[in-house]
Amino acid sequence: MTPPVIDRRAAFRGGQRAIIPSLFGAGAWGMVSGVAMVKGGLTVPWAIMMSLLVYAGSAQLAALPLIVAGAPLWVIVATGLVTNLRFVIYSAALRPYFADQSLRKRAALGFFMTDFTFALFMRSAQEGKLPGQHRDAWFAGVCTNNWLTWQVFALTGIVAATYVPTDWGLEFTGTLALVALVGPSLITRPALAGAVLAAVVALLAHELPFKLGLFAGAIAGIVAATLTDAWRQRSPPASAASA
Amino acid sequence: MAAAFATRIRGIRMNDPVSGIALGVVIVGLALSTFVTRTSFLIAGARLRLSHRVEVALRYAPVCTLAAIIVPDILLHGPNATLDLSPLNPRLIGALATGLWLCWSRNIFGCLAAGMAAYSLARLYL
Repeated sequence: MTPPVIDRRAAFRGGQRAIIPSLFGAGAWGMVSGVAMVKGGLTVPWAIMMSLLVYAGSAQLAALPLIVAGAPLWVIVATGLVTNLRFVIYSAALRPYFADQSLRKRAALGFFMTDFTFALFMRSAQEGKLPGQHRDAWFAGVCTNNWLTWQVFALTGIVAATYVPTDWGLEFTGTLALVALVGPSLITRPALAGAVLAAVVALLAHELPFKLGLFAGAIAGIVAATLTDAWRQRSPPASAASA
Repeated sequence: MAAAFATRIRGIRMNDPVSGIALGVVIVGLALSTFVTRTSFLIAGARLRLSHRVEVALRYAPVCTLAAIIVPDILLHGPNATLDLSPLNPRLIGALATGLWLCWSRNIFGCLAAGMAAYSLARLYL
């Protein structure tokens, strides 16, 4: 039931619409990141630059205490790299969808990809909700709205840091948006097995430096899901396997 | 300079205050760490051929990575990140409310509202 799409603009707008219900999560998470930058000790102009150039809440939050403590540059950048390692997996997963795009477009789509926009794209792809053509424009629409929302709220948080309550747990909205996005995928057995193992490993390994626990959990989960998938394909199929 | 200013107005003590230019370099370095990881396979990938098994594995990337992000955020608390498996954990209650709402309706806005309402109530009254 792929919706027919006539032109790139319609695809772009379709992407913009697809993410609207979840933008509360992006806004809350952006604002909390902005507030944290200023309360952590950055001045307003530097916090704004950080938000615009880095655009990665988790890496910013991981790097902030190191910056404030005057840690060496390489330690800070290494922390950023490792915190962002999951994006390498994401870009590998997106690659087949954008392989025929120009280098510049692939770089731009990559830079604006986040946990949420990536997961939304993959879920829409698996549910057949992507437009038949102009998938890059659809994804650009998703990323544009996510970026705008995140930045507007991050800037608000930076400028109005002293007025934003930090004890309301607003950032939890971002986590809940991820829960709502990932929940429906858990109905298949490989996905469930992968998610459970990923969560357990991430919990057990959370003390690893550079936030490596998250990456370890993700890798363990993906391996478990793939093995479950392969095992299910080999056993007598209960339903027609979709390849 | 910026850091010294921040120290003055916020009273935060820094062992080795970063100067303006150093902070700029740090920010550019962090921006590069985001750009390089996010675009890695998208830039290098056009000529690459991944095996079928890897393609299947990558289909499970979203659900596994998000589980590794979400679950520690719900269950680990405080500066020492202690495990909180109690049924009164407000984040657990909020996440369960979102999950229940999700079974009933796919409306993400409703899920967020239900989750945040349950989370806030649990934090205030439990």
